[in-house]
Amino acid sequence: MRIIILNFLYIFFTISLVYAQENLKVNNIEAKELYEELRCLVCQNQSLLDSDAPLALDLKKLVLYKLEQGLSKEEIKEFLVERYGEFILLKPTFTIKNILLWVAPFIFVLFGFFLTFLFLRKTPVSKEEVFTLTEAEKEKLKKVLNKDIIE
Amino acid sequence: MIIELGHYCLALVLTISLFQFLVPALGVRYNSIGLMSTSYITAYLSFILVCFSFASLTYAYVISDFSVSLVANNSHSLKPMIYKISGVWGNHEGSLLLWVLILTFYSAAVAFLGKRLPVKLISLVLSCQGLIAASFVSFILFTSNPFTRLFFPEIEGEGFNPILQDFGLAIHPPFLYLGYVGLSVTFSFSIAALLIGRVDTIWVKWVRPWTLIAWVFLTIGIALGSWWAYRELGWGGWWFWDPVENASFMPWLAATALLHSSIVAEKRDTLKAWTILLAIIAFSLSLLGTFIVRSGVLISVHAFASDPSRGLYILMLLIFFTGGALALFARKAASLKSGSLFQPVSREGALVINNIIFASSAATVLLGTLYPIFIDAINNSKVSVGPPYFEAVFIPLMVPAILLCAFSPMLSWKRAKLENILERVIAVFILAIMITAIFIFIYGGSISAFLGLFLGLWLILGTIYEFFIKVGIKLSFTKFLLRAFQLPRSAYGMSLAHLGVAIFVIGVTVSSAWRIDIEKPIQNGESVVINDIELIFLGIIDVNGPNWIAERGKFEVIRRGKNNEYLFPERRFYPASKVNTSEPAIMSNAFFDLYVVLGENLNNDESYSLRVYYSPFINWIWFGIMCMALGGILAVTDRKHRLGYSVKKNPKAIYK
Amino acid sequence: MRKIYLYLPLIFFFILVIFFARQLILDENPSKLPSVLIDKSFPPIKLNQLSSYKLFNAKNLLSSGDPSLVNIWSSWCAPCQIEHEFLMKMSLEHNVKIFGINYKDDNKDAIEVLKLNGNPFYAIGTDEDGTQVINLGLYGVPETFIIDANGNIRYKHIGPILEYDMNNIILPILNKIKRE
Repeated sequence: MRIIILNFLYIFFTISLVYAQENLKVNNIEAKELYEELRCLVCQNQSLLDSDAPLALDLKKLVLYKLEQGLSKEEIKEFLVERYGEFILLKPTFTIKNILLWVAPFIFVLFGFFLTFLFLRKTPVSKEEVFTLTEAEKEKLKKVLNKDIIE
Repeated sequence: MIIELGHYCLALVLTISLFQFLVPALGVRYNSIGLMSTSYITAYLSFILVCFSFASLTYAYVISDFSVSLVANNSHSLKPMIYKISGVWGNHEGSLLLWVLILTFYSAAVAFLGKRLPVKLISLVLSCQGLIAASFVSFILFTSNPFTRLFFPEIEGEGFNPILQDFGLAIHPPFLYLGYVGLSVTFSFSIAALLIGRVDTIWVKWVRPWTLIAWVFLTIGIALGSWWAYRELGWGGWWFWDPVENASFMPWLAATALLHSSIVAEKRDTLKAWTILLAIIAFSLSLLGTFIVRSGVLISVHAFASDPSRGLYILMLLIFFTGGALALFARKAASLKSGSLFQPVSREGALVINNIIFASSAATVLLGTLYPIFIDAINNSKVSVGPPYFEAVFIPLMVPAILLCAFSPMLSWKRAKLENILERVIAVFILAIMITAIFIFIYGGSISAFLGLFLGLWLILGTIYEFFIKVGIKLSFTKFLLRAFQLPRSAYGMSLAHLGVAIFVIGVTVSSAWRIDIEKPIQNGESVVINDIELIFLGIIDVNGPNWIAERGKFEVIRRGKNNEYLFPERRFYPASKVNTSEPAIMSNAFFDLYVVLGENLNNDESYSLRVYYSPFINWIWFGIMCMALGGILAVTDRKHRLGYSVKKNPKAIYK
Repeated sequence: MRKIYLYLPLIFFFILVIFFARQLILDENPSKLPSVLIDKSFPPIKLNQLSSYKLFNAKNLLSSGDPSLVNIWSSWCAPCQIEHEFLMKMSLEHNVKIFGINYKDDNKDAIEVLKLNGNPFYAIGTDEDGTQVINLGLYGVPETFIIDANGNIRYKHIGPILEYDMNNIILPILNKIKRE
């Protein structure tokens, strides 16, 4: 009986230990991800991860502490935004205000395809090769230049 | 005396440049060959004079003449000679002088190599170059004169930022400027084409090598800059999406698009208006970069001492050149006849998609970099746009470009049949997926690691396959070699550059997915274990450098039980500027870097804070970029791109 | 038909120029940031007692009925020493109630400064590990907040308060709030 209880305790203990370690690891990964997304406010354009400034170290400590308290990444970001403004976020929020920033890349690409579409449609289909050079010039070119220019 | 002569020469260059702008332009207006051909002489002359001017400033740095204000502010007699010389361009004034030196060098090169080009074209190009030179020289003379003397000479200089004392950084501005300013040549060619109202094969044949040259230098410059950031900043990162980095990256993206669109313009005589627009945009983005770096409108790691009056001047230049060029484009572009048509599925089609992606990427980087300014103006709030944003939008943009890059060289011009290449594409696809899967199965890794590796392999295999097909697959071995030797260099160049992209992608993927960071306090005799490497701390030695003192840590690296080497990271103190810097020590080989940073002495004297980064494959990043640059060099030296190649026999023939 | 789309690049470019010009003309230092806490109530913070000095807490911040200053300082920060003279002046000559937050400091050093240069503070609290001032969005010392009688933050001054700042910024704002 005692052995069983001891065994149970042992298993419980190892599991909780492993769990705790896992938890710590998860915290560290999350912390690192957060550091990368937060600005070191007193440096020029560096994230917390890439900074040794005293304020950055304090903020890192704060982030770790909050994670240990069980706050989520979003909650911690919110906490810091309330105090330092959105300036602290290196990744702008997905809000209406920043909508242009997030959709613009795709608008650019779509616009490019749209222009290409217009261009291809407008170019007359029947038109064949138009060379700006005359035949004689072409001959000359052929002599001087690599042959693969006129295929 | 030499300084004053240099100053005088620069003032002379202003007059000559104005002459170079005005007289050939009048010559074109009144069809006078005599007036037009003055452009050659003025181009040579201003180059020689700027050379002398630059040499005189360098001389002041070399002999540490602290009666020159710039030298006194930025140099120090104890600095090693190489950093005294690189100090010439390590500041706002001197770097502008370097800018002008390179500009006049390019003008002289265009004049020299372009003797056989139509006089009208070359005069307009040189006239435009003259205008650019005149405006930049006046910028130097009126707002940022490097030759100003001090009334009371200093006895010792104030040194310069010790973090800038690095070989990679010292030599990267010349490369970067050779790139930025190289784009001025294509810009001037575009202006000339718009003014003449004609874009023909000769024009394209001339623009392409200049784009390539600028692109190669820009690529090398960016690589050197990021290599410096990696080795010096001490965080193991190599790209930070800082406005300054973006300022060089945007012209690079535009130049890459230009490079590809000019192929279409050259081979297929179409997309000409777009090529011209890209050339204008590429140079405008370099000007914009100059504006961003020197005006202080954005927060950046590395900005020159900013001054709003300088910012205003550059903004005026930007308005004048870019605004003027775009207005000219808007008026004249419609008259450029677009040539032959093509089907969406064709080499042209693929290159157009490449252009859409690269232009969109440049626009995205521009938007992200400037967004804080926009939002501040619109609703008065401050936001940051940092690396997480750029990574989130940039990678999805680039993935299709890389997918396309592997097989688009296999497509034929005009109209390609997909089914012709489908078999090859599928073969490459399956092979790439299989290798990636095996790798991920062994080493583990996330989805993004899988995607990155797959893209890299896909591009490598596709490029190699395409190369074999181009040479001829069913040939005997000797015949194959013979034909491979006969391939033009530009074909090798393309394949090498694309391989470079693939190597770069693999380097980026592996170094970020399998990077290991360790941060801990360490005491004498303790060790850190990473994979099969053991790093043992053997204590601190005090050392004295030429202009610094340092604590130097000694670390022994033991790999697989054998002593490999010792690493000596330092914490330096520069008394002249009272700055502490950290000099990381890096053990580097083809497959990984071990990056050791010695931190502060912690409260109890024995232990030091230590950061170690293990970055596998990180050197592939720079190796890949160098392959791209080398590919560009191969393409430039191709016979058909050789500059100065005769196209028309009569040099005096006026264009059309 | 005019090809209007050819003018698009030009139009976009000029929009860009407008933003640049605005930024240049304003000539703000982009790294100086306004506080997001303006017009919000002073956040609850937990400070420690400095020796026998009166402890700064939420209760005595609201007690006076007049606007007051909250100054964050350290004995190791040189600008704070320069600023000290003007804090003394405001406290003695202008009767401004100033609350001090001693940031990441050694108690002994802090007391020495107060003994040597005088004590401008009505009440003081210490934040030895710098965790509490994060609630105020602190960047660095010294920083000074103006709090109105209802305990709302009205203004934040970054850097030392020099004579010019005192006469032209801090005192006028205090007077304006008083008149409301």
